[in-house]
Order: sequence, then structure tokens, then C-alpha cells
Amino acid sequence: MWKEVRAREEGALPPNSFASRIRSRRTSSLELSQRKEIVSPHHGAVNSLQVDLIEGRYLLSGASDASAAAFDVQHATDREGNGLIAKHKSLFVVDKQLEFGHKYAISSVLWYPVDTGLFVTGSLDHHVKVWDTNSVQVVMDFKMPGKVYGMAMSAIATTHMLIAAGSEDVQVRLCDIASGAFTHTLSGHRDGVMSLEWSASSEWILMTGGCDGAIRFWDIRRAGCFLVLDQSRSQLGRRPPLSTNTVNKGLTSRMASSGQYSAKGLVSQRKSSLGNTMKQLPSLRKGHFLSKGSTVQRLHPGMTSGQNRATAHYGAVTGLKATGDGMYLISSGSDSRLRLWDIESGCNTLVNFEAMRLQTSKGMKLAVNDDSSLVFTPCMATVKAYDLWSGTVKKTFHGHYESVNCCHFSSLDQELYTGSNDRQILVWSTPFSAAFEEQDREKVCSTDQDNWSD
Amino acid sequence: MESEETMTQEREIEAEGVVARLIEMATDSTDQEVDPRLLKAIKSAARSSDNEVRDAVRALMNQMKKPHSQVRYLAVLIIDLLFMRSKLFRTLLVVNFDQFLSLSIGFRRNLPLPPPSTVASTLRSKSIELLEKWNASFGIHYRQLRLGFDYLKNTLKFHFPNRLENAARLQQERREREIRSKQILLKKFQNFKESYSLIKDKIQSTIDEIGECIEILHAKGDDEFVSYIATDDDELEESRPLALQQIRLDALKEGQKVYESSENMAIFDVLRELLRLLISKHFPLVQKWMSVLVRVDVTDKFRDTALKEFIDLRNHILSAKEKCAELGCVFVDGPVQNDDEKDLWEDGKIEIDGPGESSGPNSEAKDSVNTVTSNNDKAPALHANKSSDTRFLNLPPEKRKLLSIAPVVEWGPFLDNWGLNRDAPANQRGLELESHWGRVDSDAVIPAEKIAELSVHRTVYKEQPVEIQPCNAPLKKGGLCQRRDLKACPFHGPIVPRDTEGNPIEQIPSSVESKNQPSASGVIDTDQDLDLDKLTVERLFKQAVKNVRESDIMKKTSKRAKLARVREHNEAVLRDAAIASTSYSQAFGEREEAVEDNRMGRKTKKPTLNSMLRKKITAKDRISKRLLSARATDASIHQLMQGEDLKYREAFPNQW
Repeated sequence: MWKEVRAREEGALPPNSFASRIRSRRTSSLELSQRKEIVSPHHGAVNSLQVDLIEGRYLLSGASDASAAAFDVQHATDREGNGLIAKHKSLFVVDKQLEFGHKYAISSVLWYPVDTGLFVTGSLDHHVKVWDTNSVQVVMDFKMPGKVYGMAMSAIATTHMLIAAGSEDVQVRLCDIASGAFTHTLSGHRDGVMSLEWSASSEWILMTGGCDGAIRFWDIRRAGCFLVLDQSRSQLGRRPPLSTNTVNKGLTSRMASSGQYSAKGLVSQRKSSLGNTMKQLPSLRKGHFLSKGSTVQRLHPGMTSGQNRATAHYGAVTGLKATGDGMYLISSGSDSRLRLWDIESGCNTLVNFEAMRLQTSKGMKLAVNDDSSLVFTPCMATVKAYDLWSGTVKKTFHGHYESVNCCHFSSLDQELYTGSNDRQILVWSTPFSAAFEEQDREKVCSTDQDNWSD
Repeated sequence: MESEETMTQEREIEAEGVVARLIEMATDSTDQEVDPRLLKAIKSAARSSDNEVRDAVRALMNQMKKPHSQVRYLAVLIIDLLFMRSKLFRTLLVVNFDQFLSLSIGFRRNLPLPPPSTVASTLRSKSIELLEKWNASFGIHYRQLRLGFDYLKNTLKFHFPNRLENAARLQQERREREIRSKQILLKKFQNFKESYSLIKDKIQSTIDEIGECIEILHAKGDDEFVSYIATDDDELEESRPLALQQIRLDALKEGQKVYESSENMAIFDVLRELLRLLISKHFPLVQKWMSVLVRVDVTDKFRDTALKEFIDLRNHILSAKEKCAELGCVFVDGPVQNDDEKDLWEDGKIEIDGPGESSGPNSEAKDSVNTVTSNNDKAPALHANKSSDTRFLNLPPEKRKLLSIAPVVEWGPFLDNWGLNRDAPANQRGLELESHWGRVDSDAVIPAEKIAELSVHRTVYKEQPVEIQPCNAPLKKGGLCQRRDLKACPFHGPIVPRDTEGNPIEQIPSSVESKNQPSASGVIDTDQDLDLDKLTVERLFKQAVKNVRESDIMKKTSKRAKLARVREHNEAVLRDAAIASTSYSQAFGEREEAVEDNRMGRKTKKPTLNSMLRKKITAKDRISKRLLSARATDASIHQLMQGEDLKYREAFPNQW
């Protein structure tokens, strides 16, 4: 580490790569945090976790006992055991006792992306509620047609503040906080919608995964969905590093550059692991456009894909997560599969994620680290970190005693938060912490030592 | 090829480490504890290097995965040992702690603990206890420990023994009790402070009074001295000539004392009263306050002085008491002893009291009583002596001889007229049977023969109690067979004398010898010949039987050996055919075999783990097997059908 600091000082190492190296090192050494503990006030399974996007300081959790709580993950409220254990108690809890609280389990929680003054909860009691954080009061209430399974807000939206909510109902509704009404009703799924994700590159693109196994892409400026992901339509490896492909999407320059950067690293990998490259890709893509064009019925041009019955998974799509650069989408299904999709082409990249067993009954929250090299997946009572491009298991996190429902990776601290059916919220962090002083080390050594005396 | 394989095998074993092997050995036992020697060996081996600790973790987790609770139990015990000692062990074990817990506590419903169930329950309780212990001592450093403990306690609501808290609570209670008692003491002390001077004065005055009394008595007693001596001597010489010397000495001593008489009776009474007050009331009071003063936790000048004064007071009291005792005024012990004496009299036990014990003046009466009691004592003793020891002494020698050989007959009515040969009156009691209907003959006589007939002595034949020796054959599970059979044990054949180990002692030669010895000394030739003949025949017969048996055994063993050889060959061929490919598998197979051999060898000695798993076949099982066997059910169904058929035919005889 000091060598790198020196290199950075000398200017041999650009600041970006210095930061990313440190980050990746910290990420790769994640383990159950011995000193940081979140005291879960929940009496039921923790279904959803999110750290706010502005400060990266407040963790919001929603549990199946209809309670939601917020924690300060940077400043401990309590210390225990000679100050070795930092306990983070909830700053506030909203639960059934509250007058306007949810009645049934909260399935997902969201921070308002631009401010921690608001947060949103969606529950199985058919309601999506918007709360004022400071007064802990409901400020807005959307009645949904069925149990709410998942919600999403766009982190990059500048022109709208829509909550996309997926429910038992086949229609995805977009709730507008500004007006307090549904602005869109997106129909196309043939079953409830479990997971939703806004595109990280375009504020109008919404991706939804339904219980019918379909992943649909919606452009909220137009009617109908414009793309249905098909697991049988595949491309080998990652997208070719051609800038022409990314032009029409209007990616920001930063993302493009990062894409190119990562693609460079992949060339060698592709050669070794995947063998033949994408010779067939152009033809495939052509076929794709053909199929899109040749519809049997004469429908509204936007509604043509409504007829498309392609599936992304056998069974329900339980989780969706877009990578940070907005180019790839990871989906998990009740067929215990993880799939990596190229958002631009809509193709299955055929990355074989190693054997896993996923929870099938609930939606789950995947997490991706900040340079999109790892995807954290809840696999029953463990969390596995897969390498995104090779699909190998990098690390398995043991700690929960029952099925894990959600993980959230905080890119600011390189910490992973996981919530599980055993009511715990665990913090996974790197053991090498700057806050860990010599003094503490001495304290530890005094009681935790080899003792072979007899 | 062969050598290479052995090499790899060796290397593997080498790599596996000593600890792994030790652990395997230690967990392969049916005991409730790990063999302490093995435990020590494991400890020292694990201590030697970090690699060994890693091996130990791996080996222990492998043992924990075995589907046998006993193995897991022992593994948990070893884990506890290492867990409390090695930091590396802790960090390694804690990584997969949920797995460990599910294997040791079996909290997952789909992964219950394996049989045998009794061991499984002890395993569970032990692991829970250990988890609590670990959490208490290392929970701070290992989040996984805390998590596991918390999950079991708060989510699954497992009941933890709560050792630590209990101990703390007990300590707390004890502390509280101590504080309370201290407070009480302090209060007493305060009370005492207030009443101190009063008490002291009172006691002091009593003591002074006693002193005065004694002084008065002594002043008076000097002139009565001589006369008492005379009287005493006379009396004693008259009544007890035997213990003269001793008593005289006593009397001389006593003579110097002052005795109560009509003149100084009043003083004595006062003295006695005062003494009673002093001993029964003041002395305990002083003792109590002293103990309070000693125990109370106050560093106070007053306390020290008070304590000093009280000690003085106590000494005064004791000296006063002694003085009184010299005067013959033993008041404290008096009433108690009197009570004792009363009890003794009531019980009818007569004891000779020492003359010096009671107060002097009525020693005359006492002595007379003593003589009486001694007489009374002597009479029954003499009687007893006569009846027991010297019973035959005064009898003529021939009679004595006869008596010694006479049979012992049980008591009965026939003993009344033993050896008499005379008629007896029928109505010997003189009853008047007036209202009797028949003729009453008051002079009726039962003839002697009839009486003899009536009083024929009958006894029930009682077999001599013979102790049936236990079979004593060694049992497989250890110990000796305790069955008592007359001739043959159904399990172990004929009963033969055996030594303490249960091995039969060859008795024939010794018996033969013992039989031969008298014959050698030469008593009767023919008898001896006959005996010898019989013996030789017997021996020959036995030899023959033995020979036959031996040949049988030989045959069996040879057959078995042959079979074993065949099996071995088969196995070798099979192995070669199946796993000739890799040296690893070869080694694996052989190691397995070695383990198997080891097990086989051990099976003869002690119960194995497998035997724990095997279900014991109870009588119920056997009966159910009988009843539920296909044949039995068929038969019963057939019978029932027949019965029904018969009924039907009877009911409707005109139908087919």
C-alpha cells in the first residue's frame, strides 16, 4: 500500500487507478466485521436494505414485521467491550404502532435519490408510502392494485421523480411524488412483477422482471416495452469495444471510457476462457431486428413486443441489478440461475455462474461493487461474491443462520450490508481499518491469545 | 510401482499430520470422555505448529460430519479443548460457525442430529453449554460467536444453562446477605454501646457479691474443719472397705472445703442464687457481646476497650465459678446432670455415681444407695453367668459328654412330657363342663400310648442350604456371568470352577492327586484299584471327548482360514481391476482396510460405535415380528374366513 502511495505522490499512478486499486483491495478482503454491529430492531425477516446515495451514511432497512428503520453506519451510537464493538442502533423505527404505518410486511425500501429527507416503503398491504425522514410521518400514500413486491427510483433522473412499483398485478405503475398520482401504467407482463431497475445510463429506461420469467425494457416516453430479453438469444463474452455501438444510447463519456478500460482487460480473458469470439453476432443482431419488425398482427408500433413471449429465466425473475456503468444487467431467477445481459444488445452473455441455490419465493436484492467486477448474491444462508465476467465464486460469506434476502454494497466505505430471515443485518467490511489503532490491538491481545498454559 | 504407491501413501499420512490421526483415534470410542492421554497428545501436537492446528480444524470438522452422535460428541469435547487455547483454532473454526452449530446442536430441522438419540441429546446440551462458555469468554472478539449465540437464544429460543449469570447472582445474594448481617451487627453494637456500662456494673456487682459470700464462708469454715474429717472417715470405712485408699484421699481433700450446714445455709443459698444468675444469664450475655464485638467491623476505641473489659469480666466469672465449684456449689452443671440422672433411673439402668460429684452432706444416704445398687447389679449378673458359661460345669462327665452329642430339637409341646411314660388326665385343667350335654367324666385318662402317639415328633425336612456357585464365565461386555445354575449354565455350558478372570481352573489333576494321596499312604488295596480304574476310565473318556472337539475346532479354523484366503484373493483381484488407475485410490483402499482391521481387532475387546447404532431387539419387537409376519397374518385371515364361512353355512344351510 505504501508503495502505491509513493507512486501516487510521484505521479506515476493516476489518482483514479490509485483509488480503484485501494477500493478493489478493500473489497476483495471483505469479511464479517468484528467491530461494527448493527442492532436490528426488527422482529421479522429483513427484506430490503439501502444506503443513501448522497452521503453514504444512512442505512434504511425494511422488514417483514412491517417495520422500517434507519441507521447511521458511520457513527456508532454505542460502544461495548472496552469500546471494541461499535453498535449502531436505529435512529428511528416506523412500524405497525404508527398510525399510518404499514400493516403487513415491507418488501422494499428506498431513499429518495437526491436527498435523505424522504424515503419510500412498499409493502404487502398494497401500499407504497412516502415518508418524511425528519418528522417520521407519511407524506404520501399510493394505493396499489396488489401486494407490492418491488420498487425502484432512478438515481440519475433529472426530469422526473417517479417511483416504479411492481406488484402482484401484471401492470407496473409509476407513482409520481410531485403530483401524488400514477403517471404510467405499464402493461406487458403476464404475471406479477418482482423486481425493477432503472437504467443507470438513461433516466427514461426502466427494466422490470416478472414472475412470468420475462425481463422487459420500457421507455417511459413511449408506449409499451421496447425489448424483451430472451435467454436463448446470446452473445459470447462482453460487447466489442466499438464506440459506434454506444452512440445511440448517449452514454456519458465517463462510462464509455470505463467500459473501454474494462474491455481491454477482457481481451486476454476472452481468448483463454471463451475461445471463439462473436463471429455470429452481427447475424444474430440482424435477426433480432427482423423479428422485431415482422409482427403478425397490426398493432400500435410500440405494442408489438407485447406479443413477445420470450423468457429470461425459467420461473420468476427474482432480482435485477444494473452494473454501475449501465451497460450490463444481472438477473436472478427462481431457476437458481444468475444471468448477465448486455443491455445494449439485449443478449444473454452466457457467463456461467457457478452452481448456486437461490431462494425462490421472495424477491431478492443483488449488489454489485463499484467497478462492477463482483456481484453479491444471496444464496440461501450465505452470500456469494461472483466474479461478474467469469462467473467463478470469489468468496462465500458465512454468517447468517437463515436465508439471506438482500445485500447492499456501499461503495463509499466498501462495506457490504446483508439482511436475512434471521432478523439480523450484518456488516461485512475489510479487517484492515484505519480506525483500528495500536491501542485497540493491545486490548484485543490481552484477552484473545493463545493459552496453552496447561 | 508398488514401492511408489507405498511412498505416496506414506507421504499422504505424513501430510495429514499427527493430529488428524490422533483425533480419529480419540473420537473412535464409546466412552463419555475423551481418553485423557490422547487428549494430551492432541494438545501437545496442536501446540507444535500452526499447520497442525489447521489440520486439527479440518479433521475435527470431518469428524463432526460423521453420522454418529458419539463421534460428534467426542469431537466437540476436543474442539472445546483447543478452542479455549489456540487463537488460530478459534479464528479458523469461527469461519464456518453456522455449520459447526448445525452439526453439534442440530438446530436445522432438515439436519437433525444422528443416532444414537441418547448421545445426541447429551451432545446438544453439551454444545449449548460450551457455546455459552465460549461466548462469555471470547464473544467480544468473534462476531460469529455472538451471532450464533444470539440466534439460538433469541430467535430459536434455545434454553441456555446460564452458568455465568447464575454464579453472578449467587455471589450477589451472598454479598447482600453479608451486608445485611453486618448492618444487624452494627445495630447490635450501637445498642450495646448504650447499655454497656449498665451491663458491666450488674455483672461486676454479682461477681463481687459472690466473692463476698465466699469470703464469709471461708471465715466460718475454718473452725468446723476437724469434726467433718472424723465423721467422714468413719462412714467411709464402714460402708466401703474396698475403695478405701482412694476415697480416703478424696475425703481428706474434701475435708478442707467448707460444707453447707444449718448455720451457713443462708449464705449457701445466696451463693447458689448468685451463681445461677451469673452462669445462666450473665455468662451467655458476656459471650454474646464478645462475639458481637469481635465480629463488628468498626475501628473504634470504645470497641477495643469494651472487648478488653469483657474478656476480663469473663475471666472473673470463670474464676468465681471455679471458686464456687471448690465449695461444692456446681450450679450450672447441676440441673443438667440431675436431669440425666433422672432419665437414667427411669430407664432402669443403675450406675454407680462417684461420691465426690454431689454435694457432700448427704453422702451417707448416697452410699447406702450405692451398696443396694451394687447388690442389685450383682445378682442378675451372677445368674446370667450361671446360665451361660458354667452350665455344664457341675454335671457328671458322662452326662456332659452325652449332652454335647445330643441332637438339638426344636421346642414343642411334646417336650413337656419328654421321656415320661404315664397316663394323663383328660381334663387336667379342672374345668367344670356343666352345661355340656354329654356325660362328663372328670377322671377320664388318656393312656400313655395315645399320648405317645399324639406327641410323635414331626419335623419338616429342611434341605441344607447350599450356595449355588455363579457361572462366572467371562462375558463379552466385561464382567462375569452371574447366573446361578446347579449344573450347567444355558449360555456357558457346564459350571466349572473358575478363577477371578473367569478362566476355568483345570481341577481334574488336583482332585486325582488328592484322591491318590491317601491311596498312596496305603489303606485298602482293592478300593484303591477300583478307584484308579474308575478314574482312568473317566479320564480316557474326557480325553476322547476333548480330542473330538479339538479336531472339530481344527477343521473349523482351517475352513475359515481357507475362506479368508479366498476372500482376500478375491478382494485383491477386484481392487486391482477396479482401481488400478491411480495410486491415490489404491492408498485410499488400503487405508480403509487398515482401519477396518483395526476395528475388527477392537471389536472383540469393547463395544464399537456401530454397536451403539444398532437397535436393541426387544421382546416386543420379536413378538411383533412373529405376529406381523406374512405367514401368521395369512393363517389368521384364513382362520377368520373359515369361521365366517362356517357361520354362513349354518345360517343358510339350504344355500351353497
